[in-house]
Amino acid sequence: MGRFGFLDRFRIPTYNDPEQMQFGIVEIDYEKCTRCSLCAGACPAGALILVDKQPRMREVPENECAFCGDCAAICPAGAILMKSPYRFTRFYKTIDQGESSPPRL
Amino acid sequence: MAEKNRTEALDRLKSEFTETEKVILNRRSVRQYKKEQVPEFMVRRILEAGRFAPSSGNYQPWKFIVLRDAEIIKGITETVISLCRMFRAMTDYRRKGYAWLRPLIKVMTRLRYNDLHPMPFTAIPLVAEGKLGLWHGAPTVIIILKDIRGAANPELDCGIAGQNMVLAAHSMGLGTCWVAFSKLALEYSPLWKRRLGISYPYKFATSLAIGWPVGNPDGMITRQTHAVDWFENGTVKTIS
Repeated sequence: MGRFGFLDRFRIPTYNDPEQMQFGIVEIDYEKCTRCSLCAGACPAGALILVDKQPRMREVPENECAFCGDCAAICPAGAILMKSPYRFTRFYKTIDQGESSPPRL
Repeated sequence: MAEKNRTEALDRLKSEFTETEKVILNRRSVRQYKKEQVPEFMVRRILEAGRFAPSSGNYQPWKFIVLRDAEIIKGITETVISLCRMFRAMTDYRRKGYAWLRPLIKVMTRLRYNDLHPMPFTAIPLVAEGKLGLWHGAPTVIIILKDIRGAANPELDCGIAGQNMVLAAHSMGLGTCWVAFSKLALEYSPLWKRRLGISYPYKFATSLAIGWPVGNPDGMITRQTHAVDWFENGTVKTIS
């Protein structure tokens, strides 16, 4: 995951540069999607938009997904798969995070 | 006998989350609410959960304001939207023709790294454009004020009280959402501060939207694991 270096303290990433700011990614199974649009309403980042009533993830750099999972949780059809979380660099570098997982017993 | 009961209880724990854990793990932020108001007794019960939160020195450095007045909720939302428009105009260097703003905003970001963190920064334009609501149409809002004279870290105590209320609400089948953006109106607008009576020694801490959810927003999801350093018996390991 990388360490937070001394220079990272002073370098602010450019928010619309996909090299420096990688936002979350969810995958939508259009076979299962029932076009209920609950997911787009649940998304706080405006990352899921409706195109012909079907959710689409906005393209980089407009995608600002926080990987909150509200879309996956609200989907009654279980059609949304949380793929990969956000990765930030420089001052906001993502550190000390590992693989994602559901709650573990 | 007691020994046997304990073994059974532990075996059960290994195969199933407790009811409390289920509420914690299933809680998702809710951003679509029904218009139907939450019964008053439920809000009072939620406030009770907040009242019994632990706080530094048991000083209870909080004051709760309940908003169930649609006109006030709408008014604050409008103020926040117009302030977000202003902030977007001043800060959003991602717009075409505004790249020259970038170095200046980066210096500001270094100084105010919480306020200009990428997540609020990218949310400001969404609020300004009406793509992200403030309290998302929730009919009940609880504003949490901190008593700045609190012991040690009153803001943290307010967070603990807030999470108590959130978990209580979800255990009753309600939905909630933490909304800190309301700070724009409740800390920076003298008009709203006067109208709601927010004055020294109280200061805005955060706010909660509460209401009946549309659909079934709660549920378990996948989330990042975090490295945990574990010191024991003279050794150290890192788990995730």
